[in-house]
Amino acid sequence: MNRSRVWVTGVGAVSAAGLDAATTLKGFAQGLRQPSTSLPFASDLHCTTFQAPANLPCPASWAHPSRTLQLAGLAVREALADAGLTGFAPGIRVGVCMGTTVASQLNSLPFYDSYRRTGKPSLQPVYDFLGANLSRAIAERLDLQGPRMTVVNACSSGTDALGVAASWLRAGLCDAAIVGGADELNQVPLAGFWSLGVMSSEPCTPFDDNRCGLNLGEGAGVIVLESYDHANARGVKPTIELAGFGAGCDAHHLTAPHPQGRGLRSAIQAALAQADITAEQVAFVNAHGTATLDNDRVEGAVLESIFGNCFPFLSTKGYTGHTLGAAGGLEAVFTVLGLRERWIPASTGFSTQAHDIPIAPVRETTPVDGNYAMSTSLAFGGNNAAALFRRCA
Amino acid sequence: MTSASEDMLPPVSVLGFGAVTALGRDVQSLATLLGRPRASPSDSSRRVSDEWLADARVGRALRRAGRFPRMAVLAAMDAWDAAGAAGQDVATDRVGVVVATGLGPHDRTFKFLDGILDCGDNSASPTDFSHSVHNAAAAYITEILGWRGRSCTVTDFTAAFEQAVLLAQVWLAEGACDRVVVGAVEELGEVLLGVLPRLLGDASNRTDVAAGEGACFLTLGPATLAGFAHLNATAQRDQVDVLVMDEPALPSFEVQAASLPLPARQAVTFSPHFGHMATSSAFQTLGGLLCLHTGHILGQRISHMHDVRLIEPAVAPASLDSVQVYKRSSMSESHSLFLTRPGS
Repeated sequence: MNRSRVWVTGVGAVSAAGLDAATTLKGFAQGLRQPSTSLPFASDLHCTTFQAPANLPCPASWAHPSRTLQLAGLAVREALADAGLTGFAPGIRVGVCMGTTVASQLNSLPFYDSYRRTGKPSLQPVYDFLGANLSRAIAERLDLQGPRMTVVNACSSGTDALGVAASWLRAGLCDAAIVGGADELNQVPLAGFWSLGVMSSEPCTPFDDNRCGLNLGEGAGVIVLESYDHANARGVKPTIELAGFGAGCDAHHLTAPHPQGRGLRSAIQAALAQADITAEQVAFVNAHGTATLDNDRVEGAVLESIFGNCFPFLSTKGYTGHTLGAAGGLEAVFTVLGLRERWIPASTGFSTQAHDIPIAPVRETTPVDGNYAMSTSLAFGGNNAAALFRRCA
Repeated sequence: MTSASEDMLPPVSVLGFGAVTALGRDVQSLATLLGRPRASPSDSSRRVSDEWLADARVGRALRRAGRFPRMAVLAAMDAWDAAGAAGQDVATDRVGVVVATGLGPHDRTFKFLDGILDCGDNSASPTDFSHSVHNAAAAYITEILGWRGRSCTVTDFTAAFEQAVLLAQVWLAEGACDRVVVGAVEELGEVLLGVLPRLLGDASNRTDVAAGEGACFLTLGPATLAGFAHLNATAQRDQVDVLVMDEPALPSFEVQAASLPLPARQAVTFSPHFGHMATSSAFQTLGGLLCLHTGHILGQRISHMHDVRLIEPAVAPASLDSVQVYKRSSMSESHSLFLTRPGS
């Protein structure tokens, strides 16, 4: 069995930037972003968010009270279709590894409010919660037999999920995997990020001198990974490879990144080492770029120290908002699309070189000249992860 | 008798283990306590006493932490200390952490919701929010112990610990880490205690389930290193000496009893001692490790289940070489972790 290489054969993306990858690319090409100043729930907060349509076009089999699961279902369906997969042959082991975050918690305000008032709340929100473990729910709906894991590493969950699934494939634990992340816009994390003072009431401006915080978003990004043998057996000649993955902990603080970004640096260097390439071979980086003061300063400094001061990079959070557990999945999809299409969009929201960041993201649609691209994620808890993709043809 | 021919991954060595449970924090005395039958007291929970959660070495670092990260840090720290020399001279960026949890720090989540309900969205506590995320425990562990390798927190309501062990095995097999500290943590908050009887009643009409909380961590390394046992989440075996049954509180016990995996000399469970948790297989594994370590069959014997295929009524301690921690979470899904005495 040829286990050493892990192939990307399908992608799916759902966010405020589009309900599928093609629509998203069209919006990217136009520099289109669609922030919202109204919220889908009652709140005393006035902030900008990025929302997918209220009514998602989910097939009946994905109907569930969890909007996160609905978002994931749409992206899974698109990724499988993109891979040309209508199902898996008997005996094929298909892993599911999905990242999610705060929206996966038992955080139903109506349930808890009722508990406080009556002591006997309806248990339906608990049952909904128990039925919405992302990886379990996806595996059950697709009747998949293989390893399963829901990663809850906060904002790096989706990228970390890619690393887990790649390890499964290389170890021979599965033949294919459905991987990525999903999260809905939810009142609880919205109040949480507001309490931390890291949200902007205006559309976010990643890496900009005037950046003043993040916008929350929602979505799902899913990738189908396959072993060479599985892809080859069904006559697929994939063009994109997940060539490297790295992760590293800051071991520094619950919410703040390490000032020198040591965990991110380790993650990037590990991904480069696994792919056995140098930083100069990376054509572009899809950065985490939340538009918070700390994240962008630390990430910018680390990227400059590794990749130099004139390489193309961008943040796509100006199009999608920060989608938390979905971010790593979505941005991995965007990175794959950049390699496939050989262009990346303008890092929307950016206009002014930051005084505290030595590099600047791309200001316009930019051709991609090269075969490697990286997506980076930083998270609460000091988690950092980097996924490196290679275009092979 | 074992057969390793179909094992997909090599086993790993359990170099140390630590736990914070309702029975205390000292794993050496746990063996004695687990050797005694645990009566079913009138209380319906196995909570961890606050006295087990104090430790001057980490008091300041944990001053804002709730029970969830606090239990995890103490258990992980003990697991690392118990590894002794096997943990020395390992670069901090080569130590990985995998934390499994079913419900996460839900008590802190509800505290954060208190803030929203009482004061509105714009006045909730940032400290409660940052401590309500599932990976808060891993964050504290890595910060306090200075580990800078990979870190992953995983959540599942039945098999998170088994998934975590599998990931640790993969990381060690592919060389991503030299050591991996893997474990599980659950907290038992007021809300869960309040609704659990109704949840259990809906699922199985059970009234004998004691909910538990605690943390249990193992320090793992390559099987070439001497340790307490070898652990494998991908093993295939023909027979084991002790079958440790992990009864899931949800779904119903009838599903669990539907079939058993293979003959065993004795079947036991540690659920009456530790209580039921989403990740209770971690605590069953702890009990299995102590069986191997002491050479005695510990825990509550399971004899009333007609499905248990015992091949001998008892076994001499000298031949206690293998343990299977088994959970059937649905009719189509079961999970096993195999512990073997090194060299057996």
